Amino acid sequence: MSQTAVADLFRPLLGDNRCLTDADSRQRYGVDWTKVWAPAPAVVLLPETVEEVQQIVRLANEHHVALVPSGGRTGLSAGAVAASGEAVVAFDRMNKVLAFDPYDRAVTVQPGVVTQQLQEYAEQQGLFYPVDFASAGSSQIGGNIGTNAGGIKVIRYGMTRDWITGLKVVTGKGDLLDLNKGLIKNATGYDFRHLFIGSEGTLGFVVEATVKLARQPKDLAVLVLGVPGFSEVMNVLHAFQQQLDLTAFEFFSDKAMHHVLAHGVPRPFDTEAPFYCLLEFEQLSDAAGDQAMAVFEHCVEQGWVVDGVMSQSLTQLEQLWQLRERISESIAPHTPYKNDISVMVSKVPAFVQEVDDVVQREYPDFEIVWFGHIGDGNMHLNILKPANLPKEEFFARCNNVSKWVFGIVQKYNGSISAEHGVGMTKKPYLEYSRSPEEIGYMRAVKALFDPNGIMNPGKLLD
Amino acid sequence: MKVLVPIKRVVDYNVKVRVKADQSGVDLANVKMAMNPFCEIAVEEAVRLKEKGVVTEIVVVTVGSKTAQEQLRTAMALGADRAILVETEENTQPLGVAKALKALVEKESPDLVILGKQAIDDDNNQTGQMLAALTGMPQGTFASEVNVADGKVSVTREIDGGLQTVELSLPAVVTTDLRLNEPRYASLPNIMKAKKKPLDTVSPADLGVDLTPRVKTLKVEPPAERQAGIKVASVEELVDKLKNEAKVI
Repeated sequence: MSQTAVADLFRPLLGDNRCLTDADSRQRYGVDWTKVWAPAPAVVLLPETVEEVQQIVRLANEHHVALVPSGGRTGLSAGAVAASGEAVVAFDRMNKVLAFDPYDRAVTVQPGVVTQQLQEYAEQQGLFYPVDFASAGSSQIGGNIGTNAGGIKVIRYGMTRDWITGLKVVTGKGDLLDLNKGLIKNATGYDFRHLFIGSEGTLGFVVEATVKLARQPKDLAVLVLGVPGFSEVMNVLHAFQQQLDLTAFEFFSDKAMHHVLAHGVPRPFDTEAPFYCLLEFEQLSDAAGDQAMAVFEHCVEQGWVVDGVMSQSLTQLEQLWQLRERISESIAPHTPYKNDISVMVSKVPAFVQEVDDVVQREYPDFEIVWFGHIGDGNMHLNILKPANLPKEEFFARCNNVSKWVFGIVQKYNGSISAEHGVGMTKKPYLEYSRSPEEIGYMRAVKALFDPNGIMNPGKLLD
Repeated sequence: MKVLVPIKRVVDYNVKVRVKADQSGVDLANVKMAMNPFCEIAVEEAVRLKEKGVVTEIVVVTVGSKTAQEQLRTAMALGADRAILVETEENTQPLGVAKALKALVEKESPDLVILGKQAIDDDNNQTGQMLAALTGMPQGTFASEVNVADGKVSVTREIDGGLQTVELSLPAVVTTDLRLNEPRYASLPNIMKAKKKPLDTVSPADLGVDLTPRVKTLKVEPPAERQAGIKVASVEELVDKLKNEAKVI
């Protein structure tokens, strides 16, 4: 079907204003942060109601038009890219908070609500939405659910999945399902809610979500520690976790820190170390502070920590977080090749060592920058492009690195995509984390909810 | 030489303050408190002077409640040698604080008093100047550079439209501006050492000063809330509104 024909199909339903065909809109709504595939959707649709979403899906089934959901488009795996004449269904206009109940401590929102908007809404109610990450100012709840977004507080609060108590979805057949209805306890068989969370829009579209909220954390304090080796990082994690409920445990290498300092973030302390840890915890009482201090002393005695600082104000807390949060930005000029991988926490040191050895052996001219949410077993492996190497050659060589790295991920029963989703970029590697039998069942599930294969085709599965 | 560094415990800079329902002041219940940022700069400057070998002893002092011990410990973790708490539950005001500091200056005879130009809670910007006036010491306010040599301190001051450098004979009062330095973090080993450094508590009566507030707050109101924007349908409507409603064109 021609581009105009696709647009004409939906125009009677949505009108010209919510059925965009201009080049600008198609460009803007067709991409995410990957920017590998050139955007080429036929039309951008802006539904305002659940009924409209249902009608869009029914029309698409009737005329075999592929649909791509679109939220904040901050994805890193091309899960929301429309590159082959699809109709983009953008949820920008379904962006309202519908209901809040203080007894349920739950808020019901439309999918186009921006993450930060939800965080601020929770704060106004004296509560807290704890899923937080760098793109929270743009990403939308619908997209977070589609990718089961994680972020920097997972060690304490879990992933998006852990906060969704109810979902309304329009399936690939155009049916509206009301899943779990906000209940905390509900033992009545298959929980389709969890099937839809992380399904990347391949089974249906989220049109409403009920999200539970948490108590606001009080008196957060951050420690940044210098650590002499990778196994010591794990010892430090273990020692602190035994005494305190950490709200974050991040690590980054000396190389990562070096790039951030070059961007003007102040150095935490002068002592040099190959690795750094950033821990955050609630200092609910003086006792918690004393306990943290005692663990620190123990770590120093054991030789696991060489130096460290502690935030004395919220300003310092934010400054120290910059050391971790600005890594991505500071290495961006080096065209990094990124991998977001995870293994069980206990296997992290051996895994990192093995990946490091392979990359250094096979690609001695590459600089590797490690950082990540080590408390969750999630690491971001970044390989920086040597300045004199052409981009194409670099990425071609990196694709070979991927096979090495994913081979090791498979050996350690890890995940090739810890929190960035599969989309198109990780699709060729899915078999490194999922068995052929499992992928077979995934296809069967997809066929059940989306028999005509119109929901975000080409993403996650072929 | 000895430096006296007065500091203040204030609502953390990053807290969004709320006015109490009865409009009697800002709600401080369960609010994160921290050292006033300008005071952090004052402590840092004193520590740098000590690291340069100019200063031999740093005494940090605050006038406030017992909870302010926390900020005194932080200052000692940053490098102050000992601390004095002038303990009071009164709402502290610049004149009272300046009088208490004057009494401490007489007792401790510091060569230099370095303090923040103002505290971010009341924004008075008065204590340093009042202390200088009460003690008769020369003052260098809004410092962006401080150099001590030959019994004198040269202070580069941030003034409207430029910089002014003054030279003061010691003992003197210096108040710090934002660009003077970038304070360091408190290292964990130093936080532990700070727990063992001496912290003395004195009462206003011990110093012979009266901290009863002289200024009474009648009412505190939040700034008027910004009104939500509207969408206009056409350029004509925009021009019309700018002309007839906003009256800016």
